[in-house]
Amino acid sequence: MFHMRNQFFAGMVSVLAMAGAAQAEDIYKIGISAGLTGYAATVDRAWSDGVQTAVDVLNAKGGIMGRKLEVVVEDNRSNPQEAVTVYRKMVSSDGVNIFSSGCVSAGNAAAAPMVAKSEIPMILCSILPKQERDVVWAFTTLPPAGFEIEKRFEYLRDKTQIRKVGVLHDPTPYALLQKDVAEKVAEKFGIEVVAVEAYKQDDADLSVQLSKMQAAGAGAVMKIGLGGTTLTAAKNLKQLGSDMLLLTSLEDLAVFKPVAEVLGDKFFFVASPSQVFEAYPDGPLKQAIGQFLQPWREKFGDRDPNWASRGWDSIMLTAAAIEKGQSFEGPAVRENLEKITGFQGTTGTYDFAPDKHQGISTNPFVVAQIIDGQVRIAQ
Amino acid sequence: MDNMHLVLQSLISGISIGCVYGLIGIGFCVIYNASGIVNFAQGAFVMLGGMVTYVLIERFQMPYVVAALGAIVVTGFVGACVERLVVRPLWNRSAPMFVMILATLAAQIVIERLTYILVDDQPKTLPAFSDLPPIMLGGVAINFQSLWIMAGSVLIVVALGLFFKTTRTGKAMRAVSINAEAAALQGIPVSLMLTLAFVLSAMLGALAGILLTPTQYTAFNMGVPFAISGFIAAIIGGFGRPLGAFLGGIALGLIQAMAILGLGAGFKNVAALSLLLLFLFVRPSGLLGSTR
Repeated sequence: MFHMRNQFFAGMVSVLAMAGAAQAEDIYKIGISAGLTGYAATVDRAWSDGVQTAVDVLNAKGGIMGRKLEVVVEDNRSNPQEAVTVYRKMVSSDGVNIFSSGCVSAGNAAAAPMVAKSEIPMILCSILPKQERDVVWAFTTLPPAGFEIEKRFEYLRDKTQIRKVGVLHDPTPYALLQKDVAEKVAEKFGIEVVAVEAYKQDDADLSVQLSKMQAAGAGAVMKIGLGGTTLTAAKNLKQLGSDMLLLTSLEDLAVFKPVAEVLGDKFFFVASPSQVFEAYPDGPLKQAIGQFLQPWREKFGDRDPNWASRGWDSIMLTAAAIEKGQSFEGPAVRENLEKITGFQGTTGTYDFAPDKHQGISTNPFVVAQIIDGQVRIAQ
Repeated sequence: MDNMHLVLQSLISGISIGCVYGLIGIGFCVIYNASGIVNFAQGAFVMLGGMVTYVLIERFQMPYVVAALGAIVVTGFVGACVERLVVRPLWNRSAPMFVMILATLAAQIVIERLTYILVDDQPKTLPAFSDLPPIMLGGVAINFQSLWIMAGSVLIVVALGLFFKTTRTGKAMRAVSINAEAAALQGIPVSLMLTLAFVLSAMLGALAGILLTPTQYTAFNMGVPFAISGFIAAIIGGFGRPLGAFLGGIALGLIQAMAILGLGAGFKNVAALSLLLLFLFVRPSGLLGSTR
């Protein structure tokens, strides 16, 4: 009797364990390494929330091919070393199936070899890793670095008399890439880069760099980089009594509002279509943004949708790749991501290929301003 | 703008930010003199100065001056809490000095995280004290906030000097810094002086934050770089010498500004740390000589 009861319990335990394993198997895990704190916090929190919004919408429809999705998010504190640690944790402890990681480019690049070795695809907010072998497993939703630069040069050429600019950049790989592009393409727009100055994200004062640009004859400052230093630059320009325009890179609108209060109509920024949704012309892009904005606004009101919309895109691209290949396996998802073409996302149309893991190829950006608290396309 | 103007403009920027480093450095000295502890939560006090003022203005619609005074009081209270809840228990158990220093570093992180939870992570700023265009002197811009920072810092240094020299409490604090045991035998409440040192230091940090924030931004995590700069200023000045720390701060601000001007921003910290090493090698007692 005692023996039979033992057998019964052992059987029950096995059944429960198998059920648990099956349930775990049923969940498709999406890992996010995000700078929830630190200089990238604003954009990476938005990215994570965009991923979660997409996951909620897909789960409400039954998941992908009947399999529910789950998000595992880890804070890398906007620090590359920390990013490697959280990636390792998500690979070994959480067993994530795909990464949909934030904008800390150095962190994503540092973790890429380990992720590639684990055969887990990554869809990133940041630029792609530099090493060719790491790019095999990495895809990005980020438009090419030149787009943000070209849009600003285009604006200066077409709408102003300014022909000399200073470039102010932080030391992140993406900013350095943009800085190089600026130096390379300026001439094409009839613009001369008269000063290139660096800063660190925690610098308290940028007035020396700005004075140097002014002394070099710059009529505008092209700032490349995220975080509160845009506010410092604006304050310093005002303190110097400078007439230079400030044109900054893509950033969360929450950061820009106080900047606009300081500089008024001397402040311009690169905006994505979702940030100027109401003013954007009708078409498939606006329609795609609208599909995202409905659940986003239900949950987050008028919070900046830009970075979140790309997080949303990363999940929709994942779903498209899985459905295309009818497989959840890492190598299959990776292969099918490479086959995605003409996919209408919220930032533009994605066309991936084996030798092209940066899908957006037409410039979706506009130059915008905040006038009377309202975001407008700059005229 | 010719080279001379550029140099002058950079000097003004350097002195202005240097005054802030100096005030933070003084905060280090006040606590060090009273206890021998290097308080690495000093950067959090700077952050709180700007952040609490912002919150009192935006969420409680307080006038700027009232909010600033409120922020100084709140930060002083936080300083007292750090002393009572973090330092005092270790002090009573005669914990090694490095343990107490590490505890202040932990306190810094706790204050940062609490601010993050209670406010948010967005950069905030405060309006300039005088919203006027800068004074232009032969092509060199002197902005009013820099004048506020410089004048405010000098006033604080003078007031602090008078406090330590003329008031009973100030004299008692000095006595504790010279010899705590002898001061205790004279009936000076040493533990109360330790608390007061933390309160004073926190208030100084808050003042630095309030003066500084209108020129840049504040965020929950902006304190650490300032703590490092203030610490370097205190070492350059001669650890424990408030006036030395102030001068050390100005020297640090100037050398950083000149490094950015002459060598590029990448050399800013190289210049700062080289200056620190230079003092440690050549004149370890600092500009005015260390108290210990």
